[in-house]
Amino acid sequence: MANGILTPQLLRQLEQLQLLARRKSRSSAKGERRSRARGQSVEFADHRNYAHGDDFRYLDWSLYGRLDRLFVKLYEEERELPVTIFLDASESMSFGEPRKFDFARQVAAAIGYVALCGFDRVSVLPFPENPAELAVRSALRSVRGRKSSMPYFQNLSQVTASGSANLNEALRRGALQSRQAGVAVILSDFLDPAGYEEGITALMGRGFQIDAIQILAPEELSPRSFGDLRLVDAETGLMTEVTFGRYRMQAYQQMVGNFRQKLAEHCAARGVSFFSVSSDTSLEQLLLRRLKEAEVWA
Amino acid sequence: MSFLAPLAFAFAATIPVVIVFYLLKRRRVVRLVSSTLLWQKFLADTQANAPFQKLRHNWLLILQILLLLLAILALARPYLSGDKRDGALLVVVLDASASMQSTDESPNRFEKARAEATALVAGMKDHDQMVILQAADQTSVKQSPTSEKAALRRALTEAAPADSPTRLVEALKLAETLIKNRANSEIHLFSDGAVPDLSEFENKDLPVVYHRVGVRGNNVGVVALDVRANPEDASQRAVFASLANHSTNLVSAEAQLLFNDRVLETRPLALEPRSTAPQIFLAAQTETGVFTVRLKVTDDLAADNHASIVSLLPRPVKVHLVTRGNRFLERALRSVPNVELTTGVNLLEPGREHDAVVLDDVDPVTWPEPNVLAIHVASTNWFDVTGVAPVPAIVDWKGTHPLLRYCSFDNVQIAESTAIKRPSWAVSLVEGSQTPLIVAGELARQRIVWVGFDTLQSTWPLRVSFPIFIANAVEWLNPQAANSAQLTVRAGDPFRLSLPEVMAQAEITLPGGEVKTMNLATNAREVVFAETARLGVYRLKAGPVQSVFCVNLMDTAESDTTPREELKLGKFATVEATTVRRANAELWRWLAAGALIVLMFEWWYYHRRTV
Repeated sequence: MANGILTPQLLRQLEQLQLLARRKSRSSAKGERRSRARGQSVEFADHRNYAHGDDFRYLDWSLYGRLDRLFVKLYEEERELPVTIFLDASESMSFGEPRKFDFARQVAAAIGYVALCGFDRVSVLPFPENPAELAVRSALRSVRGRKSSMPYFQNLSQVTASGSANLNEALRRGALQSRQAGVAVILSDFLDPAGYEEGITALMGRGFQIDAIQILAPEELSPRSFGDLRLVDAETGLMTEVTFGRYRMQAYQQMVGNFRQKLAEHCAARGVSFFSVSSDTSLEQLLLRRLKEAEVWA
Repeated sequence: MSFLAPLAFAFAATIPVVIVFYLLKRRRVVRLVSSTLLWQKFLADTQANAPFQKLRHNWLLILQILLLLLAILALARPYLSGDKRDGALLVVVLDASASMQSTDESPNRFEKARAEATALVAGMKDHDQMVILQAADQTSVKQSPTSEKAALRRALTEAAPADSPTRLVEALKLAETLIKNRANSEIHLFSDGAVPDLSEFENKDLPVVYHRVGVRGNNVGVVALDVRANPEDASQRAVFASLANHSTNLVSAEAQLLFNDRVLETRPLALEPRSTAPQIFLAAQTETGVFTVRLKVTDDLAADNHASIVSLLPRPVKVHLVTRGNRFLERALRSVPNVELTTGVNLLEPGREHDAVVLDDVDPVTWPEPNVLAIHVASTNWFDVTGVAPVPAIVDWKGTHPLLRYCSFDNVQIAESTAIKRPSWAVSLVEGSQTPLIVAGELARQRIVWVGFDTLQSTWPLRVSFPIFIANAVEWLNPQAANSAQLTVRAGDPFRLSLPEVMAQAEITLPGGEVKTMNLATNAREVVFAETARLGVYRLKAGPVQSVFCVNLMDTAESDTTPREELKLGKFATVEATTVRRANAELWRWLAAGALIVLMFEWWYYHRRTV
């Protein structure tokens, strides 16, 4: 499968996986996930009294023989699992070597591919809005079926990172817009001055099962610029003057550690699976080991 | 603390300049980052765009101000008022004697003393003055009073040690006159303390600071040397050498006797600690030459390991006896070995062909020119005759004089004696109750022994002391013996040689082979050569006269190189070696060094911040 995002080997390995949903699907569309809806499948769910017009094929004849009353057998309807991927496409994601955004797209592609292989619906919601990429982004709004994976990868690779993001706003809007709650995957660096708490709360309130993946660049973890610096924030344009030297590296790393710790604690308290990775982490390591161990998929 | 250059505090104006630099905003490198969220803690400045900023706590600023303060302090040249007061006069006496060449200090004691004196120069304050005296065989003023340190250092560099003994008395006398009536003055003596008696300064209360150099006294040396005819075999010469071991260890050495640089004998020796061992070498001699005793030993001072002496070939002493008949005297003279005796009843000519003339109670027609033994007769030129002393009792005699060696005047009676007033040129050898009975001395290059009484009118010829005295007199009056004594001088002493006629020039070959030509004074019938600071054999040539003389150290005080902890000034006064090392009075070097350290620290701190 020739595409610029994932290697064929990795795709083959991903095909073996299936997203695990902790809740039954509430989607209305047919799929392969167990749901609360009753419908046609092989999985028996309940009996109910026969009503006029019911299909005779579902009458429980053995029960009729014992009780002399007509009951209809009900089966669990198998529905799809909506997977919503919140992809941070702000300017800050275009930093790093390798770029954080490239890494985020690869993860989005991998998760989306696993979902497509499992007949689930995948929606990718890049934020902030970018009118220039309206066509590509709307094509990513709702993707279904394994055969859609090629266009899915192509569209994904055409998304670019620019502009200033508001993580809270993006998550809240995503929560409101989705018809059914499902699995929400947030791919971001979470470096938003406004915070992330409200957005996550909004998704939780809508009933999403959330996986948060924080992607940071190696330079952000241990900076290589020293001296008297004037730092310009790529998104806000805010200037900050700092004096930085090797001797303050430890203090900086402690600061980053504290930030991640706070985020991780916030997530853990709300049952959100949280992963923090550097953009130079190997993709296999994250997808095939860490996500598997955290039972995001199996 | 005071300052030599307080004007330098004007440089303090630079401190506000540095502060202004810190008030100005620094130019920063612009870096685009994904988010400044992670950098909040490192915010350095307010984001105001004004060219000035608030002055904040900054270690670099503090370090730089400290650096400036130190530099300004250094420029102001502070000093601590030490124990030397303003305008002091320091008289440095540098011992340049032979013992200062000892190698127990590295490279030798003189260099050590020079280095210490140089350190003293460095510690001088601006108003201090210093004089540098070099004390060896003669005291020389290397530098007259000055405050100029460069001149003082140059003078110290030019000083050089000599092979001669120390004449510290002269140097201290000179120093004393220099510091007279000066309130703040000190005499700094750099020496090993190997100096002769200083009792002259006992009650002077000299402000002497004694800087002792030297760590040990490991030295063996030749301290005396003489050559005589062997008393047992007249054909041989006996060389007497006195070898002193001044170290506290038993020293094995090898003594060599050389004649005209030819080795005659080598003798292994074991010298007891701190003792003197006499050695007698016997050698046949066929020509006039130089005997040298050389010690082969490893010690600190090499200058005293050899000594030379000129030995003239012995020849018979020609003695002319003028007498009316005196069998005792004649027999006594004949019994002296190596004497050619002639007799006469009177002397009509000066008798230049004789070595000595004996006048026995005979008033000669012509007074002899050679050395003379005059018995009961006196020239009117010699002294005033005051009268006659009847039956003079012998009160005392000088047993230490070579003439009275082994002589005793016990039991000698005299009928009468000529009474005289002792002249200044002579010493009284035998003292009677009213008058000197025997006097001896040298008058106008003529040695005279005068006996004031007629020996035949006394019991003296019957005593053993009489022939001994005659033998001693012949030896003493022998001009050859006097000459050979003259041919050995101690380092630094002048060499004198009388010439038979007036000459214009003399050439002297020094031990190193260098030739010096001296112009002699008109009418001078004598050569006086004073540049004898170097040890060895000198050769003098003046017209037909050729002579060899030796310069030796032969000084027990110099050979004993044991450093003295104190100098004795007479019986009671002493000067102890100082252990005080004068620190540099000025502090600017320390401040400058401190500023350098601060500068380095600042450099390190800045790089630690930014790299």
